[in-house]
Amino acid sequence: MCATVGNNDTVHAAVVLAHPRADSYAHALAQRAVDGLQAAGHRVDVIDLYADGFRAAMSEAEREAYHGDQPILDPLVQTSADLVRIVDALIFIYPTWWSGLPAILKGWMERVMVPGVGFTFEERTGKVRPGLTNVRHLIGISTYGSPKSIVRVVNDNGRRTIMRALRLSCGFGVRTRWHGLYAIDTSTGGQRAEFAAHIERSMTDLR
Amino acid sequence: MTRRALVVYCHPSPTSFVASARDRVVAGLDFSGAEIRLTDLYGEGFRPELSADEHATHLDAGVDPSIASHAENLMWCDTLVLVYPTWWSGQPAMLKGWFDRVWASGVAWDLPEGANRLAPRLRNVRKVVAVTTHGSPKKINMVEGEGGKRTITRSLRAMCHPLCRTSWLALYNIDRCSESERLMFLDRVEQRLGR
Repeated sequence: MCATVGNNDTVHAAVVLAHPRADSYAHALAQRAVDGLQAAGHRVDVIDLYADGFRAAMSEAEREAYHGDQPILDPLVQTSADLVRIVDALIFIYPTWWSGLPAILKGWMERVMVPGVGFTFEERTGKVRPGLTNVRHLIGISTYGSPKSIVRVVNDNGRRTIMRALRLSCGFGVRTRWHGLYAIDTSTGGQRAEFAAHIERSMTDLR
Repeated sequence: MTRRALVVYCHPSPTSFVASARDRVVAGLDFSGAEIRLTDLYGEGFRPELSADEHATHLDAGVDPSIASHAENLMWCDTLVLVYPTWWSGQPAMLKGWFDRVWASGVAWDLPEGANRLAPRLRNVRKVVAVTTHGSPKKINMVEGEGGKRTITRSLRAMCHPLCRTSWLALYNIDRCSESERLMFLDRVEQRLGR
């Protein structure tokens, strides 16, 4: 493999970050991911949902417009929708709460991944078709309060939401990666530093 | 003893099918003689996003004072009924935010010093019922891992009484099912909650 980064090797990634505190470990992980991507010559856009003041709940007007021609009513949602349709990689970084996505990230999925963006309804057959066929890499990075054994038992629902439900909206060739740091409350500084370094390294070999 | 039922209803549109299901839930509970408290998350403008302040104090006991009544209701009930549409294989953000903010330390759990497993606190909750609709057929939800169902029957249930039972009343493929199937579902909901 040639070491230079040509256009064909450059990945355009969107990092979707959901943590209320700017001084959080999730923000530190996002920074490391961005560092790794940029060091490899990739292009990256970050959506920091809390910093943007993203509204989690789908409104009544949005629910009513959902199956219409113009389901997006909020410019902030439109910005995300425009981005997810052109990127090669979607990277989610968040803390797992109640085995799932924080409300703000779940709301981002509900409001951004509307018909025409995340999927399309085929009128004739009534089938749902994937809308994110441009996405080649689907990556989740999450911290958990529980140890991995407990996360397994409760079904790791956030991971499944991304790796199964959202994956169905991507093309067949999409590659997935999951990075979890478990039992964060009893983890050591060394373990967190090693995980962050691992995240940065793992971003450099995206193709 | 009179049953104490907390119904948490979540849908943005007051004329939705889920709103009809909520009415039938209340009718069923009423028939059974239960005392009912109804929470309408959209109706009261609940804020689903856990704030930076809430996160900074999330290991301290208690919730934000503005949602104290939610915590009180949760600690009061013996039957919890969640009525919502399933979106992206799980609870809508509004309801997920209710979990994130109300199921807090000192309410739903304690985290003993040095532990990484929550100690449950909601021994008062002996039954959790989910009433939900799905746009997609059951097989798609199975492929997706039934995340919403497991969030309730495993993650939340673990904070309740050890013998807490869960009940899953779901209508799948709602966009393609007939009027009579929908009506049958509503009848089933009322009947099950009336027992």
